[in-house]
Amino acid sequence: MLLKLSFSSLYARLVTVGMTILAISVSLMLYMSVEKLRTSAYTSFTDTISQTDLIVGARASSVQLLLYSVFRIGNATNNITWESYLDLVSKEEVDWTVPISLGDSHKGFRVMGTNKEFFSRYKYRGNQSVSIDKGYLFEDLYDVVLGAGVAEKLGYKIGTSLVVSHGLKSFSDHDDQPFRVSGILKKTGTPVDNTVIVSLAAIEAIHVDWSTGAKIPGQLTPIDEIREMDLTPKNITAALVGVKSKLTIFQLQRWINEYPEEAMTAILPGAALQELWRVVGVIENLLLGISVVVIFTTLVGMAAIMFSSLSERRREMAIWRAMGASPFTVIGLLMLEAIFISILSITFSVVLLFCVLNLLQPWIDYNYGILVNIEMLAIKDMYVFALFIIASITVSLLPAIRAYWFSINDGMTIKL
Amino acid sequence: MRKNIYYSLLLSALVTVSVAEETRQVDKHEHGVGELNIAVEGNSIDLEFMIPGADIVGFEYKAKSEADIALVKDALIKFDEFNNIFSIPSASNCNLVEADISINQGDNHKDEHNHDEHDDHDEHEDDHDEHDDHDEHDDHDEHDDHDEHEDEHDHDDHGEHDDHDEHDEEAHNEFVAHYSFNCGNIKEIDRISFPYFTTFPNSGELEVQFVSEIGSTSFEVEGDEPFIDLKGKI
Repeated sequence: MLLKLSFSSLYARLVTVGMTILAISVSLMLYMSVEKLRTSAYTSFTDTISQTDLIVGARASSVQLLLYSVFRIGNATNNITWESYLDLVSKEEVDWTVPISLGDSHKGFRVMGTNKEFFSRYKYRGNQSVSIDKGYLFEDLYDVVLGAGVAEKLGYKIGTSLVVSHGLKSFSDHDDQPFRVSGILKKTGTPVDNTVIVSLAAIEAIHVDWSTGAKIPGQLTPIDEIREMDLTPKNITAALVGVKSKLTIFQLQRWINEYPEEAMTAILPGAALQELWRVVGVIENLLLGISVVVIFTTLVGMAAIMFSSLSERRREMAIWRAMGASPFTVIGLLMLEAIFISILSITFSVVLLFCVLNLLQPWIDYNYGILVNIEMLAIKDMYVFALFIIASITVSLLPAIRAYWFSINDGMTIKL
Repeated sequence: MRKNIYYSLLLSALVTVSVAEETRQVDKHEHGVGELNIAVEGNSIDLEFMIPGADIVGFEYKAKSEADIALVKDALIKFDEFNNIFSIPSASNCNLVEADISINQGDNHKDEHNHDEHDDHDEHEDDHDEHDDHDEHDDHDEHDDHDEHEDEHDHDDHGEHDDHDEHDEEAHNEFVAHYSFNCGNIKEIDRISFPYFTTFPNSGELEVQFVSEIGSTSFEVEGDEPFIDLKGKI
């Protein structure tokens, strides 16, 4: 009876109530999407590299080296010489290494030079390795393997011919040495999806006629001649390293960091990521804090709307009282109203959230390589909802008490 | 001929430059920030502390005065008893199998250092023929009785480590403590706490790198929350 009454009363004020619900749902959605984004970003980042014990590159901050070598974002680090890499490979603690060479691009996608071992050694999300979806890994010097995202976005198939550009955004192409797509990888949800992978020798080959970042004018070595050349790389960007025993990691890390011939840095990927997150965490908390404040503001807004509606509903209240409703029923009605509004807002905000996430997911994935996982709500969200309902009841108490006060007065003397 | 001389001059210049470049690297050193590396594999857990001298004894010059020497000695004794530094949950049943505590100037560069009271610098074992100024030898005796506290101390060869001519200037000293444990139930280690912060009131923060078969992570530990949470990380 009370429920029905309260519901019809709300229905009668559809527009104001509707606006209140909209305001609250948007603020709730804001909070939830911030929360979703931050958890997704964290898992997406941590899942990107596993089973790699150390990443070795030129002297740089650990975060910079991690971001550039694994996520291919941020500023480029210097390269390290092949000699230093060979020194590293010969260390007894080292189980395996995978060299990586970055610097060129194809239509905005990073080109990475590596060897075939990358495909078996690079692991993500626990213990998953990248696997070939179509075609085969590079066999020929000019074979290229595409990440799933690259193939999808550029519409490339096996056998498509492509040209690598020098640098990231440059107009000089390595057009004298076209590549051919030999394989396309399965989707991984990691930056590998957006990477064009070639052999280290190919990186060396396309730079044969280049010197200090520019093409040597008039020089064009025929491809046949290049194929005959020694294409051992002179330098690489970074190396992924696996050790035989975890207990020797720090010993090897120290050896690398103190390597006298070249300034190098060795990082533990997880440790560097955590370091990054301690910085990002501050911003995350700030965002969360802001969205909590927004929720609070809308709650206050809800109370304000209830207050202002009270004066226009004095008649309504008086009628309720005349019909035999006790002043406590009036309080109950207003609190029920608040609960209704908050439940409706929660439902609406969840719908909104999923719409927004679905819309934004491809864009975030494309631009930032973060896969926002759109999954059902977590228990944590339920706590937030419960907390929100309690908060809205508390907030509605103020107008409810006022209504109670009114209704006692109005019951006695009706003012017109 | 003259050309040859020029070439060789040029060559030697190049060589000197490259040699100089190769060796001019200096490790990072930050007061108030100690480093801790923890590695877990199988039943073993290794902890390795590298703490700037300032954080432990409040100074980083070589201990010359009686009081300073006593401070260093006292600090080393504190490190010997690992419970002063960190504690591992008893449920994990961990036993110390090896400990190695030293104070180290951490330098392989040749600026002028004076390593009179250096402890275990095994790298410098070649050129100790001249044991001239052994006046400072007294402090080694203290290190000797150190060995009684610990099974695996290598503070034995102090006699030979005086007067390294190639090092004449002061370095930042660093305490290095390495502990290895064998654990009956290593998965029970869900937290490691650090009485270190109360043992050494001068201490600042600890930068922790942690690695296990599950992966690696890092922590920043400070005195107000002197522990790391390792749930699900071993």
